[in-house]
Amino acid sequence: MAKSNDLARIITGCKSGDAECFSQVVDMYASRFYGYFYRLTGNREVSDDLLSELFVKLVEKISSFKGGSFESWLFKIASNIFHDYLRDKQRQRKLLEVQKGELESEITEAKQSSNERFDKLQTQLGRLDANTRELIMLRFYSQASFKEIAAMRSEPIGTTLSKLHRGLKKLQKLME
Amino acid sequence: MAMNGKTEENLKDLFEKFLNPERVEQAVEDIQRGERILRSHTAPEPDAELIANIKAETAASLLRKKENAFRRMVYKTVAVAAGFILLVAIGVELFEKGRGEPERVATGSITSKAVWESDRLADDNADLATLIAEIEQIESDLLAVQLGENGGNGPEAVTELEMELIEINGDFWKG
Repeated sequence: MAKSNDLARIITGCKSGDAECFSQVVDMYASRFYGYFYRLTGNREVSDDLLSELFVKLVEKISSFKGGSFESWLFKIASNIFHDYLRDKQRQRKLLEVQKGELESEITEAKQSSNERFDKLQTQLGRLDANTRELIMLRFYSQASFKEIAAMRSEPIGTTLSKLHRGLKKLQKLME
Repeated sequence: MAMNGKTEENLKDLFEKFLNPERVEQAVEDIQRGERILRSHTAPEPDAELIANIKAETAASLLRKKENAFRRMVYKTVAVAAGFILLVAIGVELFEKGRGEPERVATGSITSKAVWESDRLADDNADLATLIAEIEQIESDLLAVQLGENGGNGPEAVTELEMELIEINGDFWKG
């Protein structure tokens, strides 16, 4: 992890359009954000796409970063990308339900091809509701404080704290 | 990926604001245990190929962004220049209209138009001399009538002379 001075220099470079600085940001954060996307989607291909989208968005939006925690800002973008993905997925699901009769065989094939071997954590995370799963992953991968997470999610800090507590307690039971 | 001290700081203090004191210890322990589970299960890492692709994609995206910015700058410059030229054109047009036709100054002259326009200087001088002589003659006649030296024709003679004077004057201005 780069020191804060290095990070500030890299961000300044990114703002001035230095491709090398963007490359450094990719090296610094790709692993964490890949883990975040993978734990939320359970799909490597989707995680690949979302990670690519995140860094392209970074290039587009870097000029709007006005200081504060860069990681929190980047996680906010990542969270929005994930929500867009979920909405898109829901739209596709609805569309497929309408055309269910025709496409039933194709869906089964797609499911089989995308079936990955999940670790125990991934399987149990899948049993949590999407909102709780996202909160746990945001807390774990962003390393942000509760105050920052509450701000990212636009909810009171007490709500964030309570949801995370319940979520982790449930996950703990599922993992036993 | 481990959580750092930043996220663990004041966890107890935070819970104390929202929970009964006897439940705080348990809540902190639940969270710490959950985090240990997460730490013990590492997520897959992105492929080196994916990272290389992302870097290439961000570089291409950066290039597109620069091109777009340049294009926007050119469009803006052209638009500003066009606006400036239009303003100048409108300004010149308004200025020209503001000036309008040269003002005509009404002038008069006590000298006959025919005399001004004539090229015959000698003839003109002779005409003027004749006119002046006639006017002087009439003036002296008028004076004599007024003084009663012309044999006593009275007011009729004065009127006659005045009419003659007006006629000569009119002829002079007509040229």
